[in-house]
Amino acid sequence: MNVPLRFTKGSWQNWAGRLVLFGGVGLFMYRAVNEWSRSGLGLLVDAMIIAIAVTGLNLITGYTGQLSLGHAAFFAIGAFTSATLVTGKIWTPFLDDNIWTPGWTLLASAVVCFLVGMVVGIPALRLKGIYLALVTLVFTEAVRAIFKYDEFSGVTGGATGIKGFNYLPPSWTGLDGRADLVTWFFYLTLAILVVVSILSAGLIRSRIGRAMVAVRDNETAAAVMGVNLFTTKTLVFGLSGAIAGVAGSLYALKLTLVEADVPLFGLFGSVTLLVALVVGGAAQNWGPFVGAMFYVFVNDYARSVGEDPSSSLLLGWFVDSGTTINGLGGVTFGVMLILFARFVPFGAVGTMRMWRSKVVQVVPRPPIPAAAAPEAGAAAPTLEQGHNDPDATTQPAASFGNADSSSLGDDEDAS
Amino acid sequence: MSLFIERMVNGLADGSIYALLALALVVVFRSTGQLNFAQGEIGTFGAFVVSTLTLSGLPVWLSILLAMGVGFVVSAGVERVVVRPIEHRNPGAVIVALIGVFLAVNQLVSMIWGIDARPLPSIFPDEADSFVTVFGAPVRIARLGTIGVLIVVLVLLWLLFTKTKLGLAMRAVANNQDSSNLVGIRVGTVLLFGWGLAGAIGVLAAALLAPSAGLSGTLMLGPFLLASVAAVLGGLDSPIGAVVGGLLIGVTEAFIVGYVDFLGADMLFPVMLVILLAVLLLRPSGLFGSERVERV
Amino acid sequence: MSSGSLLHVSGLSAGYGPIEVLHQIDFTVGEGEIVVILGANGAGKTTTMRALSGMIGRQGTVEYAGNDISGAKPDAILRAGISQVPQGRGTFTDLTVDDNLRAGGYTVKGSIDDDLERWYAQFPRLSERRDQKAGSLSGGEQQMLAVARAMMPKPKLLLCDEPSLGLAPLITQELFKVLGSLRDEHGMSLLIVEQNAGMSLAIADRAYVLETGNVVATGTGAELLADDTIKEAYLGVVN
Repeated sequence: MNVPLRFTKGSWQNWAGRLVLFGGVGLFMYRAVNEWSRSGLGLLVDAMIIAIAVTGLNLITGYTGQLSLGHAAFFAIGAFTSATLVTGKIWTPFLDDNIWTPGWTLLASAVVCFLVGMVVGIPALRLKGIYLALVTLVFTEAVRAIFKYDEFSGVTGGATGIKGFNYLPPSWTGLDGRADLVTWFFYLTLAILVVVSILSAGLIRSRIGRAMVAVRDNETAAAVMGVNLFTTKTLVFGLSGAIAGVAGSLYALKLTLVEADVPLFGLFGSVTLLVALVVGGAAQNWGPFVGAMFYVFVNDYARSVGEDPSSSLLLGWFVDSGTTINGLGGVTFGVMLILFARFVPFGAVGTMRMWRSKVVQVVPRPPIPAAAAPEAGAAAPTLEQGHNDPDATTQPAASFGNADSSSLGDDEDAS
Repeated sequence: MSLFIERMVNGLADGSIYALLALALVVVFRSTGQLNFAQGEIGTFGAFVVSTLTLSGLPVWLSILLAMGVGFVVSAGVERVVVRPIEHRNPGAVIVALIGVFLAVNQLVSMIWGIDARPLPSIFPDEADSFVTVFGAPVRIARLGTIGVLIVVLVLLWLLFTKTKLGLAMRAVANNQDSSNLVGIRVGTVLLFGWGLAGAIGVLAAALLAPSAGLSGTLMLGPFLLASVAAVLGGLDSPIGAVVGGLLIGVTEAFIVGYVDFLGADMLFPVMLVILLAVLLLRPSGLFGSERVERV
Repeated sequence: MSSGSLLHVSGLSAGYGPIEVLHQIDFTVGEGEIVVILGANGAGKTTTMRALSGMIGRQGTVEYAGNDISGAKPDAILRAGISQVPQGRGTFTDLTVDDNLRAGGYTVKGSIDDDLERWYAQFPRLSERRDQKAGSLSGGEQQMLAVARAMMPKPKLLLCDEPSLGLAPLITQELFKVLGSLRDEHGMSLLIVEQNAGMSLAIADRAYVLETGNVVATGTGAELLADDTIKEAYLGVVN
């Protein structure tokens, strides 16, 4: 296929392209933290928290093909883990209660959710498709019911939940307490998002990543070729749950309260995460971020249109200022989802890559003969999706271990 | 004993609603392999239509029939306008579109009819003294009526599927779309009809539930979830499974709430999860579902 | 342009998405003829069948009984008189044998009970199993079922896509006897695409050879059977 631009991975053009991408996003973030209002910034933090959770979901649903509607449960478990540890509701043996600063609770959430995730991965060995999805959905509501259960209210706060734990920016940041809370959360969440994304991208390029995609594409074939379905599914469920749990912790700390009835902890949350994943682009490195941003900001826009229809371009023609139409925001958002699924069916990132691939093609470096060469272009793990380019020609690699992972991940070739 | 009977009947009545909704889900799943997320909301929409029609003077039974027609059209429209074009390009995106329909319809209801709950008259006698005695237990006629409706619908569906050409076409399309094309069946039309039928059944379920549960925008949220569980429990491609699953869940719900004191109503889902896992781990395609053979 | 043939195909191109599989091929099928299109895997046999039945997009001209059906939809093509026995049988596995046949007669107006009985008489084994699910039948039985189902709307032209696929040699023999008899006793025309050269050429009046989407040879059945290149390529005879 002849495309206007064609360059090899690792070449200066490739790096220049990545620089532009990251530079652009970096600039956006810089302006956001310096110029946006507190509420706008808060929205951005929410979007990043969801992006973290969706990054986790992407691993198990996007790359491994196991549809999970249960990630809100991990989100909730993470949130409650943080809340109970920080407020001292759980007695931790051998450990001094005071060490449970919010930061350490993130780690605790990750561990707990990893273990729970691995357990959840076990039914995934038996159940397929919608059957698995529904079990995970029931799991979500079951977890929420347990958190709400009166008998456990000593720990979980029952119906009222746990409230009012304060999380102030640590002194080393030089930020001033309450006032800069959002700013602190911005940096914290951004840092965690970056770390998680890098880890996720690295995982995809590893052997486990290849196993994941093999399981997604054809389980039986994968098993026959030596992929251990048990370890792959449980491990990935664990990891993806852990990541979602960390996101939940962040959410709890930002909200300074947790209770079972928070929408994101139940069916609504699982659906939100899935929508964000598909809208952003499943099995794409940038998908979760784009999807979460879309979800949070478009939702907010739709809500504001609902509250004040006269302010919108289209409806302003028909509606006077001051009138509100019940439910308009929801209808708007729903319609937008439908239109998105119709016209951008592979997610924002997936579709953009399809368009981009008509103009630009990133080709793997030709194999270095003789001595086995380290994987070309793998020096810096990046968030960029180059290595998953669906159009990159697969050339025989010099040694099998370095087989370029360019055929991974995306199977949404223009069809 | 009388409490047992009463709970049993209530469970079967609620279970009938779940069974109807689960049937609708199965009809759609068999033909298109998709779970219609918006099924419940289309039902709610239809129930509100019933309300409007009865308020303008029409008898309840007629209002329900007309609303079922509306549900048919809306659901068929969703298949044609939303599902089919998207499925063509990326089947994975259909679920997002259906979630969008769910949201849009749900909010449309509050847009048109407001957010206040309203009463809906029942098609059955529903006075304070409308009950019969079964083995010494008072059983409301409306409850028995709901179970009766389920039986009638089952019979009608059975006749449709086994005795009519359309039913044969639907079964053929559900089994093999390519071959259906080859024998001259218009697959698109059949799919349209299947979805429409599911929509009508959903409206019927909502109309039966609303008189006792109260008609509001959230009417079908819980029932839809439970019906989905029922459909999966019974096997997503099995109508019998849908009915068995629905009744099972209805009865379980009634007894958990009633008998198991230390658990209480809120613990429905953990119990559901245990039952679901127990059944699915033994039969991964549901109680009556058929295993799909995968060629490698 | 009718040249006396029942089916006249010229310049037929078809494919999947951006991939063109058939490159403007020509062939004809006359009345009461069995025509075989021979081809290896990937030659484009099934693509040809799907194109003729209207299942995929195609370019070129397809004329049937003097009418242009180049762009027709599947159900219109069926009503015109062309029926297909698809590759791999394509039976409705969840439906009973009886229901399968009834589905075959979907487009027939009026009662089809007599037709059903006719085919049950022709295939007694199907009659024995009429209430069994099609999926539980053996390969050969399913093939018979697929043929009977395709015959229910009384077509004039029967398309068969690799009927011998997956069948034991003895069953295949029986099958081709049946196909031959459709021509001899019922005056039907058949277009069979096959990999199995020996048995299909034996009953063919004429044949074409298809290679990666192009027709590379044509002749009578006997001619091709005697041809050395064909023998080497499709019959494994080494000279």
